[in-house]
Amino acid sequence: MSEIQALGIDVGSTTAKIVGVDAEGDMLWHLLEPTDPRIENQVERFLDRAREATLPLDSVPLVATGYGRKLVRQATRRVTEITCHAQGVYRELQRGGTLVDIGGQDSKTIRIGPDGNVLDFVMNDKCAAGTGRFLENTAGRLGVELDQIGGLALSVAEEASISSTCTVFAETEVISLIAHGVSVAAILRGLHRSLIKRIVAMIRTVGLTPPLMLSGGVVRNPAIRRMLEEETGERVILPRYPQLMGAYGAALFALEIEGEHL
Amino acid sequence: MKYPLIPRRSEVIHSHKQRGAIVAAVLPVHYPRALLRAFDVIPVEVWGPPAVDASYKTTHLQPYVCSIVQNALSFLQAGGLDPVDLIVVPHACDTLQGLGSILIDFVAPRQPVLPIYIPRGERESDVVFLADEFRALYRRLEEITGRAPSETELAASIRREEEADALLGQLHRQRRQLPLTNRGFYHLIRSREYLPAETFTELAQAMTEQVTETTQNGVPILLSGIVPEPMSVLDALAEIGGMLVADDMACCGRRLYPVGASAPTGRRPQGESDDPFRRMAERILHAPPDSTRGSPVQERLDHLLRLARESGARGVVFYNVKFCEPELFYIPGLRRGLQDAGIPSVVIEVDIGDPLSHQTSTRLEAFLEMLT
Amino acid sequence: MSLRYHWNVNLLGRIAPRLLRWQTEWRMRAGSGWKSDVLAPPLRISARNKELIARHYLKGRYANLRHKVAWVTSGAPVELLKALDFYVLYPENHGALCGTARVVEEIASEAENAGYSRDICSYARTDIGSLLSNKTPVGKLPRPDLLLACTNICQTVLYWYRVLAHHFDVPLILIDTPFIYTVTAGHAEVADHAVAFVQRQLEEAVPVAERVAGRRLDERKLKEIGQLSKAASQLWMEILERNKHRPAPISVFDQFIQMAPVVEMRGDGATVDFYAAMLQEVDRRIAQGVGVVQDERQRLLWDNLPVWYRLRYLAEFLGQHSVAIVASTYTNAWGELAELIDPERPFASMARTYIYPILNRGAGDKLATMEWMIGEYHLDGVILHSDRSCKPYSIGQMDQRDRLSKRGVPALLLEADHSDPRSFSEEQVANRLATFVEML
Repeated sequence: MSEIQALGIDVGSTTAKIVGVDAEGDMLWHLLEPTDPRIENQVERFLDRAREATLPLDSVPLVATGYGRKLVRQATRRVTEITCHAQGVYRELQRGGTLVDIGGQDSKTIRIGPDGNVLDFVMNDKCAAGTGRFLENTAGRLGVELDQIGGLALSVAEEASISSTCTVFAETEVISLIAHGVSVAAILRGLHRSLIKRIVAMIRTVGLTPPLMLSGGVVRNPAIRRMLEEETGERVILPRYPQLMGAYGAALFALEIEGEHL
Repeated sequence: MKYPLIPRRSEVIHSHKQRGAIVAAVLPVHYPRALLRAFDVIPVEVWGPPAVDASYKTTHLQPYVCSIVQNALSFLQAGGLDPVDLIVVPHACDTLQGLGSILIDFVAPRQPVLPIYIPRGERESDVVFLADEFRALYRRLEEITGRAPSETELAASIRREEEADALLGQLHRQRRQLPLTNRGFYHLIRSREYLPAETFTELAQAMTEQVTETTQNGVPILLSGIVPEPMSVLDALAEIGGMLVADDMACCGRRLYPVGASAPTGRRPQGESDDPFRRMAERILHAPPDSTRGSPVQERLDHLLRLARESGARGVVFYNVKFCEPELFYIPGLRRGLQDAGIPSVVIEVDIGDPLSHQTSTRLEAFLEMLT
Repeated sequence: MSLRYHWNVNLLGRIAPRLLRWQTEWRMRAGSGWKSDVLAPPLRISARNKELIARHYLKGRYANLRHKVAWVTSGAPVELLKALDFYVLYPENHGALCGTARVVEEIASEAENAGYSRDICSYARTDIGSLLSNKTPVGKLPRPDLLLACTNICQTVLYWYRVLAHHFDVPLILIDTPFIYTVTAGHAEVADHAVAFVQRQLEEAVPVAERVAGRRLDERKLKEIGQLSKAASQLWMEILERNKHRPAPISVFDQFIQMAPVVEMRGDGATVDFYAAMLQEVDRRIAQGVGVVQDERQRLLWDNLPVWYRLRYLAEFLGQHSVAIVASTYTNAWGELAELIDPERPFASMARTYIYPILNRGAGDKLATMEWMIGEYHLDGVILHSDRSCKPYSIGQMDQRDRLSKRGVPALLLEADHSDPRSFSEEQVANRLATFVEML
């Protein structure tokens, strides 16, 4: 295997990712785990695994991004997840556009210019509505496994209307709907619609420049992409590794760093 | 390099009280410092922290009231009022209107509460009204203090404030050549909020002598909002390579009051104003555009563009206190205008008195990454 | 152009709303409308209300063809503009209409997506959202040639109208009314220099308005309109005062709906006729012993703006518990100053009339007003709507509630918003109301 020339670590609130790239900036190797509260230990473990995958590691620059980036002692540099995601997606998909990243606890929309630069961004990080947490909490009430909710939501045409924008009130609404005998699938569909509407509002705030791109763990849910396409009338494209875009972008920045090493 | 020592707020209050002066707690935004000083009343502004006991917050004010007012009321109730003899509440928005009203009608502290209505236009009628409003304030101060400063004394007090403000303006313009960090600079200019004009003038004078040939490095940023609290935002910006080079803050840049005889324009009166009340009114009403004075959107935009151009600022940070309606209405129009002029901006929302959140830091960092 | 206006406004514009009214009246006779076994049938006057409003907005659709158009705040001295033949639109009324039609979420989202925070007044978000997207339940709103903002209700309208002025690039007339902090305990008194300031602004507004209107102000017309304004306000006040009667013939919810003409069509002859007819209907109810709540046992005061999108829900819930809301500081505001209007001295009296509205008076004065109304209308409690969008009304309510309670008047603070349902929690409100009603 060609050598890892640069590393990027994305310490998110839900998952931690590491990506290694070669001299051309192609993704060579990666790892993904739930975030360990003892981030420093986790990063060490990642680096150990990286050492196993390639030699030598000593002169490989590391850029850290994500929620816990300041805790990565070993990083040569830190760059925000906004800039890293833009970079990763731009490199992957070879074009600018509007990127929506839906994470477990936050979501963001980034308008990427034709050169891969960030033109504008909107972050939704104060409130669970519009993030994976919204679905987690509300679907939790329905007793459905998280990896099933998307398929189930798409399997029906009937859709319950969820009026609450707040996760806490939405949960109460779900309970009420269950009590009134509305089907689980219809409720799920409604919950997804709620989430998508919040995402669309974010997109409209930052301005939609096609194509519309998606990244983040939540996009493995097939309903997200489908309903987003429905709501916006735009084709939605996904990179090959939607969850790794932050770490990938960080690794690309690391590649630009010359002469600095671990 | 010698930095002049800036006396602390508590020291200043203490030393004034010792010599028998009267201390007034003052709320945002605009008020006639010269008038208070002529009565030997020392105004001390209660805009931001010190740390307040949060349990006081919920007694009088709903949760959708901004933290500036929440904190001010909590502070006053938690003992902050003790060394104060007088409370001045200018009318800067609906929330401050409510605060003034609650203080007068419900809290009813032992200290007199003096509201001042700041008119929302810059017409001759506004100047006349505000001058009369200041005359009414004069009469109240006369009742309270037993003093009656003459027109000459008023004029002298006004001149001292004008001198201090002129130096303040100079410091703002020379920002990049001053060997001060973001926080150091703001610490200096905000001492104007509690130091007597003469003391500030000396301090500012000493500082202008520190102007160097070199321009400080850093991504030049224009900060717009009400108050730069928590002050850690200034450090956070510095850490990520940002330098504040221009100021559109209500407590700072928007209070760079011109000399009473401002350069005459088509709609402003020509020549110096002899009437001290009128002069004080003109100074406030001819200040830079301000949302709390209901300035037209275009004027605010033109002002920001000029500030950016003159200072070389490459981006604007709208630093807003949550729930502050005056600012929130203007922001979209200003952002659009700035964008058309090729100047990116970001909006940060804070509760003053709370530490800077991780989300806020990330936003600022991402914004600076965008500019570099 | 003129033909189009004539056809649509003077012909169709009279017929269509009249048909709508007849249809509504017929339906009412047939028994449809608010089906309720606890509430009296709907007021017949509401059919006429519909006609007036429909005609007003229909005229608005074509107004740019024939009139100069002004957008004004609800507390603005509209008499000046009416005397200059402006078509006058009230974005706040449009906002209330959107609230009752439950389209605020959709329309306000357009403003929110353009960057206007959800923390600003929902009327403003609805208005800005409407002008950005052209979405409105009334067909089409006419473009303004002039804006008139008066700060007697709040400062928010000033920022809002600055945004409108920037968007439409038209003149904005500002009538800035200094706030009256309580001077003497419980009694608001305004300073002379403040009244002089307002009067001067009114006088100086005339040439600006004349320039836009393209005509001179006719003093006689102004006087006439002043008289009509005063007459409408006085009739409105009489109607409100009829609620001192037990049982109250109408509810505050009826008042919220029927106040539209005195707010947005004040100065019109048709408005005076409307309230004269309404007063007659109210008197008939009193004569027949009809109470709006069939088994009225408790009588309440409503403070602050209505919850436009839940009027029926609140009326029915409370009605089921034999509770009638019979008075409101909000509806009272359009009648309590009728005495100050002096058509013979328009500018001097307008200066006072427009500086004294309740929202321009201190929190202590508001409390005094509430206490006075509790006495006058024999009330058992107060619901204080803590309207997120209306800080001048809401700030001070916590103290008002505490003091009322201490004096033995049950008082409930209800958190909501006047037109944005996203700030309304069904569960929370139901619980609070139920508990409060038990307390009474």
